[in-house]
Amino acid sequence: MPERRHVLRWTLPILLMLLFLTTLIWLPRQAQQMESNERQEQLIADSLWVEQAIRFQLNRDDESMRLIGREIVNEHLKQDQFRSRLSALLRNNRELYRVTWFDAEGKPIASTDDVPISRHALSLPSQQAEKNSRTIGRPMYSAPAAPSDIAEPELMDYHIPLFREHHYLGSLVASYSLARVLNEMVPWWFAQDNEITITDTDDKAVARRTAGGPGLNVYTHQRELELPGLTLRLHTNSTKSAPKLLPNLLVGSVIVLSLGLLWSLWALWRDINRRMTAEDALVNEVAFRSAMENSLVTGMRARDLQGRITYVNPAFCKMVGISAAELVGKIPPMPYWVPEAMDEYKERFSNVLAGRVTPQFETIFQRQDGERFPVLIFESPLVDLNGKQTGWMGSILDVTDRKRVEDLNRKQEEKLQASARLASMGEIASTLAHELNQPLAAISSYTTGALNMMHNGTLDPTSLQPALEKINAQAQRAGHVIRSVHQFVKKREPTRQPVSIKSIVDNITPLIELQAQQFLVVLQTAIPANLPCVLGDAVLLEQVLLNLTRNAIQAMASVLPERRILRITATLDYATTAPESVTVSVLDQGHGIAPEVAAGLFSPFFSTKADGMGMGLNICRTTIEFHGGTLTYANNPAGGTIFRFCLPALADSHVAGNNLSTESARL
Amino acid sequence: MLHIVDDEEIIRDSLTWLAQSRAIAATAYASGAALLSAMEHAVDVDAQGECILLDVRMPVLSGVALFDQLTQRGITRRRPVIFLTGHGDVPMAVDMLKNGAFDFFEKPFNDNQLMDRVLEALQASREAGKQEAVHNRLQALSGREREVLDLILAGKMNKVIADALGISMRTVEVHRAHIFDKMNVKTAVELARLLK
Repeated sequence: MPERRHVLRWTLPILLMLLFLTTLIWLPRQAQQMESNERQEQLIADSLWVEQAIRFQLNRDDESMRLIGREIVNEHLKQDQFRSRLSALLRNNRELYRVTWFDAEGKPIASTDDVPISRHALSLPSQQAEKNSRTIGRPMYSAPAAPSDIAEPELMDYHIPLFREHHYLGSLVASYSLARVLNEMVPWWFAQDNEITITDTDDKAVARRTAGGPGLNVYTHQRELELPGLTLRLHTNSTKSAPKLLPNLLVGSVIVLSLGLLWSLWALWRDINRRMTAEDALVNEVAFRSAMENSLVTGMRARDLQGRITYVNPAFCKMVGISAAELVGKIPPMPYWVPEAMDEYKERFSNVLAGRVTPQFETIFQRQDGERFPVLIFESPLVDLNGKQTGWMGSILDVTDRKRVEDLNRKQEEKLQASARLASMGEIASTLAHELNQPLAAISSYTTGALNMMHNGTLDPTSLQPALEKINAQAQRAGHVIRSVHQFVKKREPTRQPVSIKSIVDNITPLIELQAQQFLVVLQTAIPANLPCVLGDAVLLEQVLLNLTRNAIQAMASVLPERRILRITATLDYATTAPESVTVSVLDQGHGIAPEVAAGLFSPFFSTKADGMGMGLNICRTTIEFHGGTLTYANNPAGGTIFRFCLPALADSHVAGNNLSTESARL
Repeated sequence: MLHIVDDEEIIRDSLTWLAQSRAIAATAYASGAALLSAMEHAVDVDAQGECILLDVRMPVLSGVALFDQLTQRGITRRRPVIFLTGHGDVPMAVDMLKNGAFDFFEKPFNDNQLMDRVLEALQASREAGKQEAVHNRLQALSGREREVLDLILAGKMNKVIADALGISMRTVEVHRAHIFDKMNVKTAVELARLLK
């Protein structure tokens, strides 16, 4: 269907374009045609007009001649008066070459010429016309011809027979010079534009006027000029050439403009095509990208510089269980923030506002149903076309599964280690049993043998002695085995050095956090920087703290996520006597300690855990007591348990930096 | 004779002492190889009977491997083997029992019970010796003598035997004398008891 729409979309412009081109070609032609027709018509009209004018003038001359003829017949006009009378006429009518009065015999009576011409000197057509006119008794024109022997232009003679009482008196001949007829009777403006030719019936040109140059045979017209006794043809041939196809600048510029228009249309078309191609590519790209974003399992979240959410992808919405419409435009606190970690978020957010972003960090988000889940966040600046930062783009990975796998791996590893330990323990036990069995078996055999002999009465005291010595040796050997085992398992001697509680806690914080994250527990530590050091074995104290925090974390595994807060605090206790003591507390909000459990809490081999050895707290207490301190526990007023241990503080053991700060405070 | 095989001197010594206290002659060997070389020339079981006490855990040649070799050489046919096992070797010892070992004792064991069992093994060894002797004597009989023997054991009179085999009474009597001689008995009743 898009194919067809595409075709349809282009059909109309192309048709219009063709129409325009056709018009462009047709219009000048049409204009030319119209102009041509107009000129032709104009020529015809003008030719008609000229013909009328000639005819009219000839009629007037005819009338004048007839008047004169009548006067001659009536003898009002005498021979001597003739010339003066006609000279005036000839002056006004220059088409008349001459007028001659002949008698019946053809002798000139009077003429406008100085030397009158005799009738037989007239041209043959003229003489013929004379005869005809006398015969029919009416004036007649002769065909134009030059007189046979006189150098005269071609003349058309008008013979007016003169009769009195049917008696032929002679004739009056008015000779018209056809050239003059054309010169006098055709107006100059017409002559200027046309070649005018008069031809006789044989199409022989008898007169021609070419004031404006020769005719171009483009616009021509011919008209019959009917005269008594003669038919002439009037040819008009315009000197104007055929109208040019591109007659002027206007049309030219119109064409140029049209071509320009066409070119720009084409350019536009090309441009649109390119743009459409680009748009198509863009649409495809956008579709591709959005499909990609939608198919991602990684959550994506864009924030502007104010921390307002500007974009979230479906994966993120699915992750937190909140729709995109609800999320976009939100400013902190976000609905997916966990209340107990609010401080952490706020601190990070203030960093974001300050333009500092941790590129990668782990934190905890909650779904709409309150379920917590650990996430790994990568943040990078969002930069617009001009390279200006407009916000932050973050990709959020739900690492629940990964954590679970890590957790599983860790557990697997622990199991493996445990079984390895067990295996090696079994091996040791087996070796130990063999080592002990041998001397014991020997001792047993010797004594049994000796007893047998005593019963039999075959006992020989001399042979008994080496046996007893051997028994003794074997007993000692067994004792030696026991001693060596004891030495093998004996612990190393703890060392005592000044250590700061802060450094101990700092050392094991990553380990604690590792465990805490598994159980979605938030770790908070509050250890004053100016706490005095204690004398102790850092490794042992770390073990104690790790033991206590592990217990605390595990105690919170089954409580609501928002309650899972583990706190480690340390205080300097002034209340106690002479040596000050440092109290370290591990607080959890877990299930607490039941009274029946409390009784056996520090006993060896006492454990509430399925896989517990029951040695943890026992060893902890032994360790703390070894350091001259005490390990106690109390119920947490906020729920859960507090384990505390106090260690004697070392006098003058403040950390150097803290000494400075206290001193500066004093100053 | 009790053959004690153990890699540890003190065990060999104490077990020898123990055996002596129960009037059992004992020889100790420090390794399986020593026992094998000693058994190379042993032709017959002595009158007291013989028994082998093997420690399962021994370097080079373990008790199990040694037992296999002894069985292959037919040494164990008339010399019962008692294993001494450490903790955890019990399943293997049970396998050895199935393969013909006489018994096993798990350390630590009751010494006199072990010696009682050794005495029983010696007894079994002696019995096995007798059985073998009878077997050897039977092998020495000819085909006709075996036929006659079968009929004697069936309680037939010489006349009946002669009829059954189609031979003369006299010939039967000669065969009978040979059989008694070869089987080292004097009467038919004694013969029947021997071959019971």
